[in-house]
Amino acid sequence: MNTIRLYLRSMRMLMKCQLEYPVFFILQTLAQLVMEGGEMMAVILIIDRFDQVNQWEAGDLFFFFGIMSVTFYLTECFGRGLTGNFPSLVRTGMLDTLLLRPRGVMTQVLCSAVDPRRITCIAVGTASLIIGCSLARVQWTLLKAAAMAEAVAFGSMLILGLFAVEAVFCIYSVKSVELVNALSYGGRSACEYPIDIYPRPLRILFTAVAPFALVLHAPASYILDKPIYGWPAWTAFVCPLAGAAFYGLIYCIFRKAMRYYRSTGS
Amino acid sequence: MSYIQVEHLRKTFTVRMKREKGHVLREKNTVTALQDISFQIGQGELVGYIGPNGAGKSTTVKILSGILTPDGGKVLVDGRIPWEERREHVRRIGVVFGQRMQLWWDVPILDSYALLREIYRIPEADYRKRLGELTEALQLEELLRVPLRQLSLGQRMRAELCGSLLHRPGLLFLDEPTIGLDAVSKLALRDFLKWENRENGTTVLLTTHDMEDVAALCSRVMVLGHGQKLYDGELTGLLRKYDTSRTVTVRFENPDTVPDLPDGAVLSREGDQLKIQYAPQEIPTPELLARLQKTGIIREMTIQPQNIDYLIASMYREMDL
Repeated sequence: MNTIRLYLRSMRMLMKCQLEYPVFFILQTLAQLVMEGGEMMAVILIIDRFDQVNQWEAGDLFFFFGIMSVTFYLTECFGRGLTGNFPSLVRTGMLDTLLLRPRGVMTQVLCSAVDPRRITCIAVGTASLIIGCSLARVQWTLLKAAAMAEAVAFGSMLILGLFAVEAVFCIYSVKSVELVNALSYGGRSACEYPIDIYPRPLRILFTAVAPFALVLHAPASYILDKPIYGWPAWTAFVCPLAGAAFYGLIYCIFRKAMRYYRSTGS
Repeated sequence: MSYIQVEHLRKTFTVRMKREKGHVLREKNTVTALQDISFQIGQGELVGYIGPNGAGKSTTVKILSGILTPDGGKVLVDGRIPWEERREHVRRIGVVFGQRMQLWWDVPILDSYALLREIYRIPEADYRKRLGELTEALQLEELLRVPLRQLSLGQRMRAELCGSLLHRPGLLFLDEPTIGLDAVSKLALRDFLKWENRENGTTVLLTTHDMEDVAALCSRVMVLGHGQKLYDGELTGLLRKYDTSRTVTVRFENPDTVPDLPDGAVLSREGDQLKIQYAPQEIPTPELLARLQKTGIIREMTIQPQNIDYLIASMYREMDL
């Protein structure tokens, strides 16, 4: 499809741009490794201290951490245009330039940036997933693989949706982006651990508002054969759809915000 | 039917003021950017759009290019309402902002063009033909493999123009395209715009402060001030109306000659030259020259019209802008 080809072309060009400054790129990538390595260190320390958190053992914790890392940083890598780039698009008036082209705004925003430095974070996440699988002795089946794919795909949509909320705030020139960051980045940090270790308010927040628990934890616990709250197996396939619903809702709001932007100017 | 049709176009902006002490809510101020603008532009016309800063020129261009929704009025460009059919509309227009680049900063401009081809879905053969044509006209051959950031301002502007014309737009908006360019680049740009207009019949709306650009390119100008159209017609007509002062410089055989001048002419002396300032509407030029010739033997003489920028400035003053 033409949009996908456009996206791939854009990515290739953006990579070329990044590699114009190779030293900077490598240093930044290494910095990311240290950052995400530190996060994983926290998991290791917890496991070292307590053998078990609720019913979760070491392998399970690695698995939860890994699935969140991979999903989040994949989204951040490819959704860079929305999360990091959007405020400057608005500020510099580049958003107007995007409106001058015969393509959707969201498509072009996503085509406008990529963050390949996140590759190290994704690698750390993948390593954690592999460690988790082997420690927890996961028996892979076709259904489990499907649940995994679904979790990553819809998890990305959920996170992209959260980034889009930031963009909407930005269009209405609201300064309190931190509020949204609490949901996206806060959600990442919190939901690196299974949801049922948290007190009730946090559980509600990350189930009903930013449904990380539904999108990631339901399928992950199914894969680990320790269904969360003892939910039946089919929930592992249905719950992640919440990610798509979330994105759909925010996308509609985003379109509305763009209409507002076009009637007020910049 | 005209190519561009604008009727009673209105746009106001709400500007939020800084919160004053003791007030809970911020005061809102409405600024009228456009009040009741109407005009028509035919296909293939080259129109200059001038006016002081903040007159509403950019607002008009933004509305015509579909990125801003007006408060009221009717706009049809090539039979379409720009802001309602944005994608279909922008496929057929090109926009160049003098102070904003649309090409990608770090890659060779050829790569940028390839991506634009993808964005506009230009067929390969058509793209090659058009690119060849434009690179030749804009003398870009040697620059195609150079990253944008390494180009000079003039080269960058040429590259931008090429990028915005690849999809053969029927209508081109230029917002101060010659800002910051040196004389050679300016002249090259003007030649190119004339060429594009003539060869491809592209309609051009040129927004600028550079009156030389307008004089060189546009036979028709529209003057905008305070969100209203103040003049629409030939540039020469506008100039004649505000051409209130000319200067004759003469050197007589005998430097002490004092000419007998008609009332209203102002005489000043610079070395052995005499400068006479007069208003051509009040004192016809031939009459003045006849008088000078009667006074003594003239060795050298030049007549200078007023600088075009002064002229526009005096026009703005008179229109109270």
